[in-house]
Amino acid sequence: MPILSRKQRVSDEIPTASMADIAFLLLVFFLTTTVFNEEKGLPIVLPEEKEEQEVSAKNILFLIVQPDGSVTVRRGESEQEQIVAYRQVEGILRQELAANENLIAAIKTDPSAAYRHMINVLDEVKKAGAERISLQMVGE
Amino acid sequence: MAVKAGGFKRRSGASSDIPSSSMADIAFLLLIFFMVTTVFRREKKREIDWVSAEATRKIDEKRKNILHLWIDNVGQVWINDQAIADEDIARVVRPIYAQNREIVIAVRGDRDVPYSKINTITKQLQAAGAVRVTFATRLEQRLQRPRR
Repeated sequence: MPILSRKQRVSDEIPTASMADIAFLLLVFFLTTTVFNEEKGLPIVLPEEKEEQEVSAKNILFLIVQPDGSVTVRRGESEQEQIVAYRQVEGILRQELAANENLIAAIKTDPSAAYRHMINVLDEVKKAGAERISLQMVGE
Repeated sequence: MAVKAGGFKRRSGASSDIPSSSMADIAFLLLIFFMVTTVFRREKKREIDWVSAEATRKIDEKRKNILHLWIDNVGQVWINDQAIADEDIARVVRPIYAQNREIVIAVRGDRDVPYSKINTITKQLQAAGAVRVTFATRLEQRLQRPRR
């Protein structure tokens, strides 16, 4: 058999047929590994420093968050207090807002109460559609 | 002038294949687009127990306008991967706020942190002038309740 008679015919081009597959593979890899971490939460605007306003007592509904997570509701004028579970706050606040749309929901939290209790109440207040919210701490 | 052979003889020379030679270019273009637009997280993720709320909303703000303030389960405050003492928060946030007035502080607190901590932080943020705050929460779904 003659060895050197046939020339080898190797193409000197880069094969481009599979290029699209490679690119799409990379594309799919990046698409699946990308994590969109959305920012979610309960937005609130704090008052500017030293811009705390005096409001008349009849426009305030105090929601006092106790260390155990229960809520004491006190209408600004009266001394009367009502202890409720936080799930009931939304209903109470809705009623109050229907009666007085200028009502300010003042969430007054005990310093030793866990953050989640305060968020639970803030959540209820947000759900009730209150626009005017004040965050305070008991004993200030 | 007569149309040659009645205009019917010649078959159209158009190929019925989808042109695949430019497919690679399209794919690479998409690839480069995604690579360029991907923003890598700058800070370490901290393990906290999230608080959840039903009223959780998406914060419609550009990523560069959001500053994360972490409060871990021992009450340590972290901003941009740096542990910060409570009384230094205003000092750290003030220059950030001065650079970007649109800044929103996303407070990512552990659910068991006592409220006095949160109160200190909001006071510090007020002192720094950064009054737009978000309490970062996870969406809570209560199944036993009908949707409103």
